[in-house]
Amino acid sequence: MSNRTDPDRALDNERLAKFLERIDRGDKIEADDWMPDDYRNQLIKLISMHGVSEIMGALPEKEWVPKAPTLRRKLAIMAKVQDEMGHGQLLLRVVEDLLAPLGKNRDDLLQDLFSGRLKFHNVFHMEAPTWADAGVIAWLVDGAAIITQTMSLETSYAPYARALQRICAEEKFHAQHGESIVLELAEGTPAQRQMLQDAVTRWWPSLLMFFGPPEGGTVSSNQLLNMRYKIRSQTNEELRQVFFHKYVHRIYHLGLTLPDDTIRYDEAEGVWHYQQPDWDRFVQIVRGNGPCSAQRLRLRKTSYEEAKWVRDAMLAAPRAEHMAGGRL
Amino acid sequence: MNSAHEDQFTVYEVFSQKNPASGFVHQFSLLAPNHEAALLMARENFMRREPCINIWVVNREDIHGLTPEERTSLERLDNKSYRETKGYGDVQAKWRRHKEAYESKAAFTQKGG
Amino acid sequence: MSEHSYVETAEEARRNPEYVRALQELLFQAADDDYILAYRGAEWLGLAPHIEEDVAFSSMSQDMMGHAAMLYEMLEELGAGKADDLAHMRSPDAFRNAIIIERPNGTGDYADQPHYDWAYAIARYSLYGVFKQIRLEALAYSTYVPLAQAAGKMQREHHYHVRYWHMWFKRLASSTDDARARLNAALEQVWSDIGELFLLGRASASIVGFGLIAGEDDISQRWMNATRNMFASNGIDWPGDWGVPVQKGREGQHTDDLAQAVSTLSEVYRLDPAASW
Repeated sequence: MSNRTDPDRALDNERLAKFLERIDRGDKIEADDWMPDDYRNQLIKLISMHGVSEIMGALPEKEWVPKAPTLRRKLAIMAKVQDEMGHGQLLLRVVEDLLAPLGKNRDDLLQDLFSGRLKFHNVFHMEAPTWADAGVIAWLVDGAAIITQTMSLETSYAPYARALQRICAEEKFHAQHGESIVLELAEGTPAQRQMLQDAVTRWWPSLLMFFGPPEGGTVSSNQLLNMRYKIRSQTNEELRQVFFHKYVHRIYHLGLTLPDDTIRYDEAEGVWHYQQPDWDRFVQIVRGNGPCSAQRLRLRKTSYEEAKWVRDAMLAAPRAEHMAGGRL
Repeated sequence: MNSAHEDQFTVYEVFSQKNPASGFVHQFSLLAPNHEAALLMARENFMRREPCINIWVVNREDIHGLTPEERTSLERLDNKSYRETKGYGDVQAKWRRHKEAYESKAAFTQKGG
Repeated sequence: MSEHSYVETAEEARRNPEYVRALQELLFQAADDDYILAYRGAEWLGLAPHIEEDVAFSSMSQDMMGHAAMLYEMLEELGAGKADDLAHMRSPDAFRNAIIIERPNGTGDYADQPHYDWAYAIARYSLYGVFKQIRLEALAYSTYVPLAQAAGKMQREHHYHVRYWHMWFKRLASSTDDARARLNAALEQVWSDIGELFLLGRASASIVGFGLIAGEDDISQRWMNATRNMFASNGIDWPGDWGVPVQKGREGQHTDDLAQAVSTLSEVYRLDPAASW
């Protein structure tokens, strides 16, 4: 047996067995606990994508902050964009602690984002051409996010769970902020209603894509690993079904239509049937070929690179204060 | 001048106090160049909606904690009921018994008298 | 200001048209300064040099826009029009902010290829911050009691802004040569506009006469004392006489940058000002 001739490996196997026991027991793992490499890597993959998506997600809505129609709406959407950046902060901090033993930090994550190695959610590659888009993003995109994040609250990785708890509390405010915008438009003039209908129609395929392709019986090795480690236990399709349950009727209640004549709930099966979005397009979008991918990445990259001197200044050891005779 | 890997932001752990009767509670951590900047960024990052009357930031390196192995030593046997009120459940019953005995004795004396 | 009589309510103020005219003029100056600078701050959202920084900066832009909203509401009570109309429906020549407030953050559009200058942001926010502090202190003695009370409330939030921008000012002044050079260049830029901040516009005499706020010289002197200290403690030489821009913002003359800002701010509202949004 190789175990006997390789004490390190034997030790690792023992640790792994103990680790899996803890996972099975429902124990929560902390950053300084021993963890197998693939557990760490799965967490890094999942949480860094989540984190940069929040940060990229600030950009489409940020476009609407100055344009928001009233003072109150301007303030509310500014607070919302702030929360998105704040969520990015929480999640990146969690990943940074996971990356530290590998000698990597936040800057590496951002470089991975710029180079396209690190992907962000499909929804944030899309255009938001009207004010109604800002409402639909807050109502339905955040609604979809609440579903995936609430389902992940049980994650085995405690620092992620703690970040998610904060995030979920704020997402509820976001959804209400979105509902408030959407209801105002739905109750408004014909032009406002049309603006809202167009936005719902525009966002529907992206919302379906948000949860990822349906498994269709085969679950990827990636997902199997997440389930084994109790990092994330629901499948894409399960989450999408929860979304339908929660939102399809609400959309109808506002007198709006969906760009899918086939969507229906099958009582007997307890399942929503719907028209699949173009999953090839999904792959293209996430790879950075969506309508706004290049522009938003450029925005993030330019601002980050042009502010390098500021970070250098923040990190430089301060000179002696109260210097006599400064230079202007 | 310095690459990002040589000069790093410091991780500060953030604690806050809700009201004078409550203790400081750990909130989260942030990256800052120094404690002054950390203090100035802490509330807006973690307590935008919660009340907060005071804040501490602590350089993570200055926090001494237990290792995962040492943490297991915090588990204790469930044999310390003498430290808790639940270990004195019989006290109330005894008081009740004494009260009842006293009252029935008083009633008997009254009747007898 | 004890020789002035205090005005307790909007209703009472409206009995004296001259008083209201002077008061409105002053309120527009303060409201428009905060509103337009909050807009400039909002353009920075998501683009600040450090994520934690971005979050904190946004709070200050929200505070400033909140202060502007309070002042527009005060104007609404005084019969100037609906607060949201004041924020969205006025033409640029009705704005009373100083020119330094409307200057862009750098080149480029906030949603596409912005090249923003953090040193300019620090220089402008720091020096405006000192000014706003002094203006709020002076307004706390205003004969218009609702304004004096509002100024007291705003001071609490603004105190944080002052501490924050001072931290940054100190940081840039005392770190790398590059940062210091950029700060100095930005200060030079700010300096050429800063003199207008203290002006009270065409209604200056009646604004001061009614005891609504201290005079221009008084405010600028106080600002100079505070700023001299800030410069000295950070080893920055006093730049000498300040400049004023060609346009008189306090009298409604503005640059194209304001026209652009106002058109962005009102883009949706103007689609249908009668609609509910």
